[in-house]
Amino acid sequence: MNINILNTTLGVCLVGLLALSACEEAAIPVGVDNTPITLDTISFPVVKAIAYQSPPEMGKTEYLYFGKQDGFDFQYNLIKFDSTSVTANTPFSYFNDSLVVVDSLRLSLRFDKDSIASDAKFQLRYFPSGGDSVFNELESNYLNFNQAIASEIISTAQMEADSIDTNKTEVYLNFTLDSSIVNAFRDTSVLEYNRSFLVELANESSESFYFHSTDIQAGKQPELTVFYRQFLSDTVVLDTTSRSYLAVADISIITPPPISYEDSTTLSVSIAKGLKSIVFVDMGDWTLPSKSIVSSAQIIFNRVESDSIAQFKVISHPMTSDGDYERFASYTDDPYDEDLNYFTSTILIDNVLKINHRKVATEIGHKNFTNLGFKLQSSFSNDPFTTVKFYGINNTDSYPVMRVIYVLQ
Amino acid sequence: MFSSNRTIIFLLLLGVLNAQSVFNAYGLGLSKSTHHTASAGAGSIGLVPTFHPGVSFDNPATWPGLQFTYVSGSYSNRSIEIGSQVSSNYGNGFDKIQFVIPIQNRFAIGLSLKPVNDHNAYFKTDSTRINFQGRDLIFNKEFRSGGGILAGSFGFAIPMNDRMGLGLSFDKLFGSSRDEESLILNSVHYRLFNIKTYSGSVFNINFAGKFYDAKNVIVTGYARISMTREPVSGTQYQFDLFEDINDNYSFDTDDYPATIDVDTVKVSNIYAPSSFSLGLNAGFNNDLNVFGEFQLWTDQAINGKYTSIYKDQIGSKSHVGGGLVKFGKMGARSWQDRITMRFGIFKESYLLKNSGRKINEDGITVGFGYKFAATGNQLDIAYRTGARFMTNDYIESIQEITIGLSLGDIWFLRRRAKQ
Repeated sequence: MNINILNTTLGVCLVGLLALSACEEAAIPVGVDNTPITLDTISFPVVKAIAYQSPPEMGKTEYLYFGKQDGFDFQYNLIKFDSTSVTANTPFSYFNDSLVVVDSLRLSLRFDKDSIASDAKFQLRYFPSGGDSVFNELESNYLNFNQAIASEIISTAQMEADSIDTNKTEVYLNFTLDSSIVNAFRDTSVLEYNRSFLVELANESSESFYFHSTDIQAGKQPELTVFYRQFLSDTVVLDTTSRSYLAVADISIITPPPISYEDSTTLSVSIAKGLKSIVFVDMGDWTLPSKSIVSSAQIIFNRVESDSIAQFKVISHPMTSDGDYERFASYTDDPYDEDLNYFTSTILIDNVLKINHRKVATEIGHKNFTNLGFKLQSSFSNDPFTTVKFYGINNTDSYPVMRVIYVLQ
Repeated sequence: MFSSNRTIIFLLLLGVLNAQSVFNAYGLGLSKSTHHTASAGAGSIGLVPTFHPGVSFDNPATWPGLQFTYVSGSYSNRSIEIGSQVSSNYGNGFDKIQFVIPIQNRFAIGLSLKPVNDHNAYFKTDSTRINFQGRDLIFNKEFRSGGGILAGSFGFAIPMNDRMGLGLSFDKLFGSSRDEESLILNSVHYRLFNIKTYSGSVFNINFAGKFYDAKNVIVTGYARISMTREPVSGTQYQFDLFEDINDNYSFDTDDYPATIDVDTVKVSNIYAPSSFSLGLNAGFNNDLNVFGEFQLWTDQAINGKYTSIYKDQIGSKSHVGGGLVKFGKMGARSWQDRITMRFGIFKESYLLKNSGRKINEDGITVGFGYKFAATGNQLDIAYRTGARFMTNDYIESIQEITIGLSLGDIWFLRRRAKQ
C-alpha cells in the first residue's frame, strides 16, 4: 500500500517536471558572416521634374473665403445642404403636406472671428434651374463653373453677433429666405433636387472673410433652418417649430494670382495657386529580389526656403500616365491622374521632405507596376495659401533623389 | 485547419526544450547520443549496462535482465556558456520516458518517447553600421530555432541462446520545428518564419552477448545497427518577410505589408540517420565494470534543400568513450551499498556536410544511482561537464544535470502459487 502511494507520488512529480519545462535564454553573440537575411540599398536619380498649375481645388478646405487676399480673388462660395434634417431625419417632401405651413428659412454661416470689424454686405442666390447637380466639390473651379445659372439675389445679410453666454460671442451671417424657396426643394418631381446656394459679397472688398466650411474639424458648418407650423385641424395649430439641414458640400471659387518665376522654376506645391509638381525617378530595370521587403523607398526633396513653417504635409501618388517635363504649364484641368492605391502623406521636417513610396516601389521592383513618375501636391489640411517650393534637378547640392533600403532573404 | 495544426505544432515544440547552441542551427541540429540518466552518468551511448548489472535501458537486447517492469523518466537541465560570454543559457526538458516489461527473464517489450535531435538555438549578431549616402544605417540580426524530431519507439527482446540476446526496435520519427530570422534596422524588426513538420522511421537491431565468463571477470559485448526505414519527409511552411511594426513576434494587421505569402513545400528525404555502434564491458567480481564504446553515425539524406538558419548540415558523427560503473545491490543492508556509481569520458566529432568543418565535443561525466523499495525503484542523477567547439569558431562550455526516476513493479514474472 505504502509503495503504491510512493509510486503514485513520484509519478505525479515526474509528470509535473515535464509540464514545467522552461528555458532561460540569452542570445549568443555571433559574427555576421554566413548568416542569412541581409540588408541592401540602392539609390535612383530623379531625372525629370517640373511644377505645373491647374485650377485651385478648394473643396476640402476648412473655410469658405470671401473678398481678396495676397492677390487671390475669392469670387463666391457654393454650398449644398443635406436632403434630410439633423433631427428626426425630416425630408423636404415633408413640407408638401397641406397641414404643414413653412413660415421662413434661415441660412447661417459661422464667421471665423468672434467680433465684427466690417459692415460688409453679403448676398445669396440659389439654383432653381440647376437640376440635380450644380457643382462638384472636388472639381468645380473658376474656369469650369458658370455663375450665370444662379438665380437673382434672394436674400442679403450682414454679420451679426450672437451671445452664447456672458463671456463668449459668436458671429454669424444669417440669411432669411422667403418660404417660397422651399417650394423648389420640396418639388417631388425632382427627387434629388440640388439644394445648392451661392453666397457672395454684395460689393467688392479688399478685405478677406473666413467662414467655417463643412470640412472644419472644430467649428460649425453651414446650416439651413426651416421654420414651420403644423395644423392638427382647421382650427388647431401647433407652435412654430424648426428643422435644421447641414451642409454636405461646399467650395470657394477663387481666382489665383499670377504665378511667380520662383513658383514655376522650382518644384512647388500650393492649393490655392493650384501648384503641383511631378517627378520621374529613373529606376531602370531594377528588380527587387523575390522574398524581399522594402524598408523604405524615400524620394527626398529639400525646401528652397530655410525659414520654419507651420506643419506642412505633402500628398504624393504614382502617376498613371507619362508627364510632360518640357516646361512649366498651366492647365484648365489637371492632366495627370494618380493611382489612389499608393497614397502617401508626408510631413515636412526640418525643411526636408522624405516621401516613402515603398509600397509602389515594391510593385515596380516586382514588375507589377509601371513607373511613370510621381505627383506631389499640398495636403488639404495645410493652409491653402501657403506655397512650398523644393529644389529641382538642376540644383547641384540639394537635388531630389530616391533611396531604397530593403531586406532580403 | 491551419489553426489546429499550429496547436499541434506548439504542443510538440513544448516537448523539447534544451539549452541552445549555435551548432543546433546547422540543419536539423545535433543528434542526441544519450537518453537515459543511467547512460548519461557514464557518458555512454546506451549500449553497455549502466542501469543494473547486465541492463541498459537504451539497449533492448539487455532488457530481459531486468527483474521488474519499469516506468522510467529522465529529465535534464543544461547550462551552456559561449566563449567569454558572461551569462549562461539554461534549458531543460525530458530526455526520455520509457516503459519496459521483462517477461520471464527471456523476453521483454518496451515503449519509449525521446528527442532525437537538438534544434534549440538563439543568437544574434553584433551591430553593423553602413553609411548610405550620408545616412547611417545600423542593424543587427537575431535567429531563433526550436523544436525538432521526437522518436516514439517500440522495442522487444528475444533470446538467441543462453549467452546472447537480440533486441529489435522501431522508432517512429515525428515532430515539428520552427525557426525565425530577423533583421533589426533602427529598432524595427523584419522577420520571417519557417515552420516544418517531420515524419519518418528508423529501425534498430541490438545485440548483447557474453563472450568470456571466468571466476573473476565476465566480458560482454554489445552492438547496434540503426537503419532508416523511411527517410524523414515533411512540410515546410515558409512565410515571407514582414515588418513587425508592433514587435509582437507574429504577423498581424498592424504589420507591413498587409498580406504575406506562405509557401507550403513538401520535402522528402531530409534526414536518414544510420549508425553502427560497438561496446565492450568487463565486469569484475567486485561489481566494478569497465566499458568502452564506439559509434559511427551518418545522415544519408539526399535532399539538402530545406531551410535552416545555417545552410550547412550535420553529415556524420563519431563517438568514442569509456568509463567505470560500480553497481549497487538492491538488497544490501547498508544504504551505501545500494548506490551505483558511474564515471565516464567521451569524445564526439560532428562533420558538416557541405563545408567539411568539424564540431568537436569532449565530456566527462559522473553519476549516481540509488536503489530503494522492494521493486527495484531507482533514482539516478548524472552530471556532465564538457566543451563543444569548432576550429577557429565558437567554444561552448556545457554543464548538464540529469535526473532519472525508474519505478519498478511486478508484471509477467513467476509468482508463488497460492497454497
